[in-house]
Amino acid sequence: MLILQSVLGEIVLAFNRAVIYYFIALNGVYLILFVISLIEVRRFVKRTFFSDYEQILRSDMTWPISIIVPAHNEARNIIETVRSLLNVNYGQFEIIVVNDGSTDLTLERLIETFDLKRTDKIYRRALPTGPVRGLYATLEYPKLLVIDKERAGKADALNAGINVSRYPLYCSVDADSIIEENALLRVVKPFMEHPEEMVAVGGIVRIVNGCEVRDGRVARIGLPRRALPIFQVVEYLRAFLSGRIGWSTLRSLLIISGAFGLYRKSEVIAVGGYDRWSETEDLQLVLKLHENLRRNKRPYRIVFVPDPVCWTEVPSTFRVLARQRNRWHRGLLQSLWSHRRMLFNPTYGIIGTLALPYFLIFETLGPFIEILGYIMLALSWALGLLNTDFFLLFLVFAIFFGVFLSVAAVLLEEISFRRYPNWEHLATLVLIAILENFGYRQILSLFKVKAFWDFLRRRRAWGRMEREGFHPAPPPPPARPNPAGGAPDTQGAPGARGAS
Amino acid sequence: MHAFLVTLILFTGAVLASLALLIALNKAGREGREHLDRRRRHILEPAVFRYIHETGHRALPNYLPKSLSRRDRRVAEAVLLDAARLVRGEARDRVTAAFEALGSVRDAILGLRSQRWWKRAESAERAGLMGSQSAVEPLVAALGDDEGEVRIRAARALGLVRGSTSIRPLVGALADPNRWSAIRVAEILIGVGPEAVGELLAAYDRLPVAGRVSALDILGRIRSLEAVPLLKRTLNDQHPDLRARAAYALGLIGDPAFVAVLIEALRDVEWPVRATAAKAIGRIGGRAAIPALCEALKDRQWWVRANAGEALRLLGPEGRDALIAMLEADDTYARHQAVAQLEEGHIIDDYIADLGSPDESRRSAAVRFLEKVIALQRHERLTQQSVEHAQEGIRRTLLKILNRPLPEGGT
Repeated sequence: MLILQSVLGEIVLAFNRAVIYYFIALNGVYLILFVISLIEVRRFVKRTFFSDYEQILRSDMTWPISIIVPAHNEARNIIETVRSLLNVNYGQFEIIVVNDGSTDLTLERLIETFDLKRTDKIYRRALPTGPVRGLYATLEYPKLLVIDKERAGKADALNAGINVSRYPLYCSVDADSIIEENALLRVVKPFMEHPEEMVAVGGIVRIVNGCEVRDGRVARIGLPRRALPIFQVVEYLRAFLSGRIGWSTLRSLLIISGAFGLYRKSEVIAVGGYDRWSETEDLQLVLKLHENLRRNKRPYRIVFVPDPVCWTEVPSTFRVLARQRNRWHRGLLQSLWSHRRMLFNPTYGIIGTLALPYFLIFETLGPFIEILGYIMLALSWALGLLNTDFFLLFLVFAIFFGVFLSVAAVLLEEISFRRYPNWEHLATLVLIAILENFGYRQILSLFKVKAFWDFLRRRRAWGRMEREGFHPAPPPPPARPNPAGGAPDTQGAPGARGAS
Repeated sequence: MHAFLVTLILFTGAVLASLALLIALNKAGREGREHLDRRRRHILEPAVFRYIHETGHRALPNYLPKSLSRRDRRVAEAVLLDAARLVRGEARDRVTAAFEALGSVRDAILGLRSQRWWKRAESAERAGLMGSQSAVEPLVAALGDDEGEVRIRAARALGLVRGSTSIRPLVGALADPNRWSAIRVAEILIGVGPEAVGELLAAYDRLPVAGRVSALDILGRIRSLEAVPLLKRTLNDQHPDLRARAAYALGLIGDPAFVAVLIEALRDVEWPVRATAAKAIGRIGGRAAIPALCEALKDRQWWVRANAGEALRLLGPEGRDALIAMLEADDTYARHQAVAQLEEGHIIDDYIADLGSPDESRRSAAVRFLEKVIALQRHERLTQQSVEHAQEGIRRTLLKILNRPLPEGGT
């Protein structure tokens, strides 16, 4: 018994030592990323000041863009989404909505609202897709084209959109997201600055819960009322402002959010488009692009720019959040597995030697180590091996780093983009940046462990996103009576996006 | 150990509190500065505008408080910079004199020598708005700056200060692989107008393809007749982007004499060239192109068909007749595109209205036309009007036509 206890004790101590090294390495990486992001954000803001967007907007030479919107059962939101896209501040663009076998009235609402008619457009099937049932267009909205196809998933819908698209750049936008009116102009900038090398550009995704939406635009920025979405506001700030800017600067960006990203079509076609089997087709695509371009030793760039904003709704219940995170993590595992040959492989440069190992060691194994740490803690206590002082010391450091990185992300936001203008917003964000380290992050780790288990069992589920709908802006003030005695001098209150 | 732990916790708390304080101080400082600037502007702005709109010889400092703080100078300069964008004539000269009196021109010239590129770019921008001749020489020097942004700002500033910018460095800048900069340079050159044409034509062959695309676009938008030989020659260039841009530029210039070469371009092997040629013909309005446009309605590429259809629609009655004739074309896509354009041009609506005409021949012609549309299975508009049309008689007639069996051979 004593021998068993002694062996167990050795294991526990060895694990504890490993956890400390792991912790130091992880937070070291985070800290480095934060410092890089801090420097880069300041440079970015300076450079943005001289962008002359208006001049670019007026020019006929600005590159045209195809916006592809995959939609499955989006009848509630799709009209507002298309309207908001039609109002985008950009020269030449087309909107391709891909109705991916919706069983609700998505297609009918589109046809009815925009007076669409079946069209005879011929296109080249550069990427294999599920059967396309028809194309719809109207001369009244010449920028709009709707593809009706059988259900085969988001990746397949995007591939169908790529096949039909006319322009060399395409922007993928989720049907439940709102892109800001200048977002296209901002996201295309890196392509025009480095026309030979740029392959993909990602924009920042911000959280629309709590904001007021009018006519498909965010009319007033606010914070969500419920706790869970506010935690995600801070989490997204950390992920985008501290994480992606840092990785992008290191030329190691692996994720471009599916909600909003701009791609060079020819490069995407060259790697076979989106993979239907992938749970996170966006990550999988970016990895394929890196692999192809690195293997062929071509100079290229895949970057993140923090000012083209896409607003999206996030889960407000744990059940939906669990499903979403489960899918994300399973997708990460699938992509890492399918690109395992790149791991620690210097042929793939910094992607193979830094970015992918980081994702394997810290993003994939991190949740396990964290959860195991809690188990070992209990075990250490039971075996009488717990050094309380050391434990407290470690705890203080762990919490300190967590809080520091979250508050630092809020600081980055405040010195750069300042989307949350009120003191109340700022105070709430700082408070949440502290509180999220006591429970929320641990729950996310549990979700990831569960996702790993599901991945091993090859369980697949997209996970339905239950939406609350965007908060409508308050109705306009009462109309003044028309002096001529006719109808009131105002338009009807604009429809909110699918308030449920 | 316990003491160390407590110290550590306190230290950690202090670091986090400092971070939170930093955020708060940053916000408070910024908002405080903005508030003070607004207050000072409220006081100084009327004085600056009084100075601008008076005709006396008193300098700006005579209108301002005796002791000007640095903030006051900055605020007065901001007011003047806003005014410089709006005022003209004598008032503009007084604004320039005010910048000189405040020492702003000297500061901007010094700023052009800053180590930081954004300071140099900002200084060039300000120097341009200030309009002082003393800035010309430093701005010319800034045209050779290592940073592209500074060069663009300096070129634009020179245009503002002396009424003409240095065209050659700007044309040279079209070769910049950074298209974002090239577009802005192109916009400046378009603003320069015909003066830039000679330099563009001289430099054209030396420019890379992307630069030539920009040059063709600029020449088209300036509507330079001097550039026509180059544009026509470029329609035979090896590079399809250049051929397409040349066709587009000819359309922008808009001389009906170009229709013949554009008809040739409608037969180009590359569809973007065919599509832009069709677009250009639509813009010019050459009736001689009707047969070629009808042929282009059968093109494999939707863009070409759509542009050719639009060009026909824009050609007026002859184009409309051609579109109606195309309803019987042997090509399905051409027939469908013709219906789409006839609908867009409200010609289908005109025929629907004719169903209610007292003239029997017009009614019959309308029925024959609408039957052709129905035979092509493009009857959505008709179906809609059979429900929504204001006249009950027309709704009934439409329903009757829609419910008739298709004639033999109908698709």
